[in-house]
Amino acid sequence: MEATTKRSKTDILAVFLALIAILAISLTLQNEFNLRQSLFFITGIGLGLTLMHAMFGFTGGWRMFIREQRSVGIRAQILLLIVLSVLFFPIIGDVFPALKSHAALGQVGISVLIGAFIFGIGMQLGGGCGSGTLFTVGQGQTDMLITISFFIVGATLGSYHLPWWLSLPNIGKVSLITTFGGWLPALVIQLVVLIGLYKLVSFLDKKRNSELQSFSTQPKADSFIEQLVHGPWPIWWGVIGLGIFAFITFIMAGYPWSITFAFGLWGVKIWNALGGDVANWAYWSAGYPAKALNQSVLADITSVMNFGIILGALLAAALAGKFAPAGKIKPKRLLTAIIGGLLLGYGARLAFGCNIGALVGGISSGSLHGWLWLIAAFTGGIVGVKIRVWLQLDKPYGAKS
Amino acid sequence: MKNRNRLIMGSALSLAAIAVAIDHTRHRLPDPISVTQEQAEMSEEDQSPCGLDTANSPCSMDDNDSDSSPCGL
Repeated sequence: MEATTKRSKTDILAVFLALIAILAISLTLQNEFNLRQSLFFITGIGLGLTLMHAMFGFTGGWRMFIREQRSVGIRAQILLLIVLSVLFFPIIGDVFPALKSHAALGQVGISVLIGAFIFGIGMQLGGGCGSGTLFTVGQGQTDMLITISFFIVGATLGSYHLPWWLSLPNIGKVSLITTFGGWLPALVIQLVVLIGLYKLVSFLDKKRNSELQSFSTQPKADSFIEQLVHGPWPIWWGVIGLGIFAFITFIMAGYPWSITFAFGLWGVKIWNALGGDVANWAYWSAGYPAKALNQSVLADITSVMNFGIILGALLAAALAGKFAPAGKIKPKRLLTAIIGGLLLGYGARLAFGCNIGALVGGISSGSLHGWLWLIAAFTGGIVGVKIRVWLQLDKPYGAKS
Repeated sequence: MKNRNRLIMGSALSLAAIAVAIDHTRHRLPDPISVTQEQAEMSEEDQSPCGLDTANSPCSMDDNDSDSSPCGL
């Protein structure tokens, strides 16, 4: 059912400041680095705008399904995985030799299992995932500032302990494209599994709620342009938007969209600036992490895209008149934001990424660790939802809210 | 309450911007490669379609067989 509602008044000052900031950063990146770096930032803006207008969150979608078997959020996520798998697999399989993009492969083992499990708990306690934390910060939710701060602390700690976690039992990196003998059979198998999953969650939803919620239940605006600019977007617009910007990232960067590497980098840079010694941290002493640590944060693609996501969400929230919603942080919320943030950061580092880098990036580029991540994080999510009830943040299942 | 939250967000974003600026300026861009006198002269010649002072030039006036010069001097 579609309804037309009067939207909130656009926050002109916030829109103006966001546009000035976007322009200034784009020009700085182009001047100090190159046009490519500026384009990564603009892609981040697009992702932030899409996430905010479509309210495309993983945490809420999972919680709705765990509590009430409402599947609209999860179905949208599966749809995104289907779209990206179809786009990524042929490129990784070298169908287009000019495009040299690679899969986000992570080793399959205990570190992913434990990391994703605690990330799943952290999602429910912290109130957001990797992408969710960024766009709600951009929206101006002050409690999410606490979550993101401790997300950074957790990711930094995780990077310190990572060598030990990686020494635990594992079977190494597993590419489904290699395992199934080519991109086409691997894609067919993956699509069968994803469609099966889609049907399963739809079935469970219908069984419990008798009717499936549509993808286009957002109130309709007066015109298409007004809805595009001011939102809110139906969730399927979110799938298309995220699909486009994630694909652009994959082509330009040469690997799938990721978020949490930057959080660890920011944390280590802050620690270093405060006088901490990171010279003996194995993770930061070799390869790309060492290079990123020793150059400007603006040279790191993930950081630049994260800045873009925050500003894109800020712009979208201001256009929709939803920037900096009123609300006071209660002590219990403060506690869950701190603990949730720590679990999110630490878990993401151990699991080779968050819901974006490991789940979306991993699965859609044919890495087995993405599937292990999904199972472990969803199990952690169930535990997290139970903890929320125990802490009386949510009412028990079945109780009327 | 809304104004207070706007103030908090504005402060946090400003602080982040300052931190990024400090980090960026701590990592100086590489110095331009120094150009020696000899290289500078060479590059000037390269810019000219007919370098007149060197035997390496296709239009050299020192060349006895000037008729073969593409510049026909």
